[in-house]
Amino acid sequence: MNAIIRALRKEEWSPIWSGAGLGIVAVLIVALSHQAIGASGSFENIGGLILKAIAPDLVEKNLYFKFVMPPGITWQVILLVGAFFGAFAASKLSGTFKLDPVPDPQWKRVFGPSRWKRWVAAFVGGIILEYGAGIAGGCTSGLAIAGGIALAPAAFIFIAGMFVSGIVTAMILYGSKF
Amino acid sequence: MLDYLLALIFGFCFGWLLQKAGLTKYSKIVNVFRFTDLAVLKFMMSALVVGMIGLYGLQALGVITLMKITPTYVVGNLVGGLIFGVGMALAGF
Repeated sequence: MNAIIRALRKEEWSPIWSGAGLGIVAVLIVALSHQAIGASGSFENIGGLILKAIAPDLVEKNLYFKFVMPPGITWQVILLVGAFFGAFAASKLSGTFKLDPVPDPQWKRVFGPSRWKRWVAAFVGGIILEYGAGIAGGCTSGLAIAGGIALAPAAFIFIAGMFVSGIVTAMILYGSKF
Repeated sequence: MLDYLLALIFGFCFGWLLQKAGLTKYSKIVNVFRFTDLAVLKFMMSALVVGMIGLYGLQALGVITLMKITPTYVVGNLVGGLIFGVGMALAGF
């Protein structure tokens, strides 16, 4: 029992074992819920819902919202709510939870302590990432993992693209610090 | 109702595992592209291998009968992936 509590409170788990756990979760989602694991789609569902409240015409006429990502509180949105609480509980139990505008020491070292710089980068990066996920048909979880475990070629093409541009972007951003 | 309860439970595990593996940190995400910390790659490959065996194993046993396979659009998947990587390296999500 104590060993379990110690494990739950441990700050960092091996990525290999955590990944294996996620693989099991991804399979159970298909087997029990007939859904697919995902994260980026939920933001589009919620975004569509907000846009619908502001400008219903835009959503009506938009083919993407009509056929690909219907606005609303979908199963995936609930999954994301669960993910929020899961990550919150995990960080609370390891005692690492804190509110910090620029939480990453590496970011501070390379790009400075400015919170606006970090927030703008996170926001703009988030927009680019969601846009790419929209075109590709999913993100790291919704396409790479969910598609990959079903051996969908789409997933592996996506992973290749993601690493190519990720490496190039990191090279540009870090310059000589790469 | 049960459907949503399952979504909450699965989501909880999803978030928990990402947090414990450190993948909620900016540096963990960006460092995989700098080859200084391969946690993201280890996590993804491990999830893929376990998931592939689990999914096709359960299908062979007849537990999973309907499997939706994401359709492939080579250009869409590639261009989407290329755009996605830029955002991922910039934001660190």
